[in-house]
Amino acid sequence: MLLLRQFLIEWKLYSRDRVALFWTFAFPLLLLMGFGTIFRSSAPAFTLVVTQTTRETQAGRELLEALKYTPVKLLELSPQAAGARWKHGETAAQLEPAGGGFTVKVNTYLAAQGAMTAQIVQQANLAVQIRRGGAEPSFLPVQMESPGHAHSANYAAFLLPGLLGMNLLSMGLFSVGMVNVSYREKGKFRRLAVTPLPKWIFLLGQILHRLTVTFLQSALMLAMGHYAFGIGNQGSYLLLAGVMALGTACFMAMGFALAGFAQTSEGYAAISNVFFFPMMLLSGVYFTLDSAPRWMQQAVVVLPLSPYLKTLRAVFNDGAGMEGHWAQMAIVAAWTAACFLLAVKRFKWA
Amino acid sequence: MAPLGRRPVTSGPALEVRGIRKAYPKVVAVAGLDLEVRRGEVFGLLGPNGAGKTTTLEMIEGLTAPDAGTIRMLGLDWKHDGRAIRSRIGVQLQSTSLFNKITPREALALYGSYYPKRRSPEELLDLVQLRDKADAYHVTLSGGQMQRLALALALVNDPELVFLDEPTTGLDPQARRGLWEVVRHIQGEGRTVILTTHYMDEAEALCDRLAIMDHGRLLTEGTPMGLIHSLAIPSVVELTFDGAPPDPGLFAQRLGQEVAVRGDFWEIPTPDPKALLPRLLEAADSAAVPYQQIHVRRATLEDVFLQLTGRSLRD
Repeated sequence: MLLLRQFLIEWKLYSRDRVALFWTFAFPLLLLMGFGTIFRSSAPAFTLVVTQTTRETQAGRELLEALKYTPVKLLELSPQAAGARWKHGETAAQLEPAGGGFTVKVNTYLAAQGAMTAQIVQQANLAVQIRRGGAEPSFLPVQMESPGHAHSANYAAFLLPGLLGMNLLSMGLFSVGMVNVSYREKGKFRRLAVTPLPKWIFLLGQILHRLTVTFLQSALMLAMGHYAFGIGNQGSYLLLAGVMALGTACFMAMGFALAGFAQTSEGYAAISNVFFFPMMLLSGVYFTLDSAPRWMQQAVVVLPLSPYLKTLRAVFNDGAGMEGHWAQMAIVAAWTAACFLLAVKRFKWA
Repeated sequence: MAPLGRRPVTSGPALEVRGIRKAYPKVVAVAGLDLEVRRGEVFGLLGPNGAGKTTTLEMIEGLTAPDAGTIRMLGLDWKHDGRAIRSRIGVQLQSTSLFNKITPREALALYGSYYPKRRSPEELLDLVQLRDKADAYHVTLSGGQMQRLALALALVNDPELVFLDEPTTGLDPQARRGLWEVVRHIQGEGRTVILTTHYMDEAEALCDRLAIMDHGRLLTEGTPMGLIHSLAIPSVVELTFDGAPPDPGLFAQRLGQEVAVRGDFWEIPTPDPKALLPRLLEAADSAAVPYQQIHVRRATLEDVFLQLTGRSLRD
């Protein structure tokens, strides 16, 4: 009887801890839902971009027909569209007509995903040759290439801008948002409110501190990337700084805005994670969403981290200018403005 | 110690509150309240938990806007002179939350920097006797040390008017007396002190005048002695028992006077204990009351409070 009572009280108290409930029940389900949707078909699915010109030759039609029986998902685009997609770093592997035959282009940043796809294409190609009979079967040439055709060419080069973005996200949501909720909850703001210190000085002081922390953190990561992996910024440093400044403003404003919706630190943890995890997992920090369903790719584009990272990678990895990235920056700027207004409207001192 | 009366004498009350009200969605915290505090006095705001003391202080301190009423202090009001008021008052909140890894010396220097006029951290550390903890992280301080630091922070701007919200709650008796000394010292420097407490002995020991409030209203105000004398029952006779007190019915009848049961003893209020005692002993004898001891004590603020509210201050 005592045991039963003890067991039940454990459940009762546990069920009142909403944070624990979130992590135990909701979070794994969200993860499963998320990844399950990304890699829904035979896991994981591989996407191969093929240009429409491929269908113009007999060999091309045969190869595409053979690929139908593999786990590779074919995405047929015009040469222009395929080129643009490649430049944005969204393509892991692409089949290109070259001379009389074909070349498989593999994105160096997505080497694992791309190489697997290339393997499958090779197998399909072998199958076509065997069916046709005759000459000794040959392999397709595989060409490793980075999205912007620049030189930096390993996974670290892909990862570094992703982590720079992740840092901003966690700085904004945790270092800014969480801290301010706990200041309010514990009455630190109230103690300041009875002094003549203008509130904006307190907030600006805090913001400047986070900015310098972010700057130092990024500088350290860039130095590490340079000395340990030989990765360097391919674009203009001014542009890089500008893009990063906008990102910092965006995620900091997001932290302040979300802080206005939570009464307690526990409540804030739940609210912020609703934003943190989808962005962390689906925005292309660690891998691209090449194989995710179209709606998910489009949905994620609307969250600020994904367009931010695309622009950051274009500048950092490929030395791109802003052409073709204005729309992405506009999305980030819109989030920044919306979060800022919301933060001002919802901010509470007590 | 600073010389007495070095503060410029300015006329008018230190604080003047007229008809302030504050209602929250579920409760009326303060239901129309008038207060006047003179310069240089220690004024106590008393009441049980939930009486509205803290809300009243918050409105006066500018943390909460009243729904109605006016607040003037040091001749200034919040609408026009917010910054000037904040510069000239010192506030100790009920719980002062600081950054975990700040030291008392740093905190005093930091908060002092917010004010045009400030006192040196060294002087304040001496005043609240925190010198040996001056460079320890805030998290490592004991409850009493944190309270003393909070008090020092409230004095950092050399304020004319000091608010202390339950400054000794949760402290052991020795630490409480230490804080009382500091409060007396603050008053000695010519400052006006407004404090809330739910300790009657504290109010009696410290306050020149006090106001008792309950359910968001003022019940009475005056000097501690004046309030006690107003009771018309300056003394209380207590009979203690070994174990639970018996029913006082028969005894009360023989004595011809009302007897209240409080916890494990009987209480008989009387204006004249000398006349009561012989009759009381006789009645106790004839009713065979198994009492252990008889105490005669003078009435305290606790009794004033009991009579006004029908409940004990710490209920």
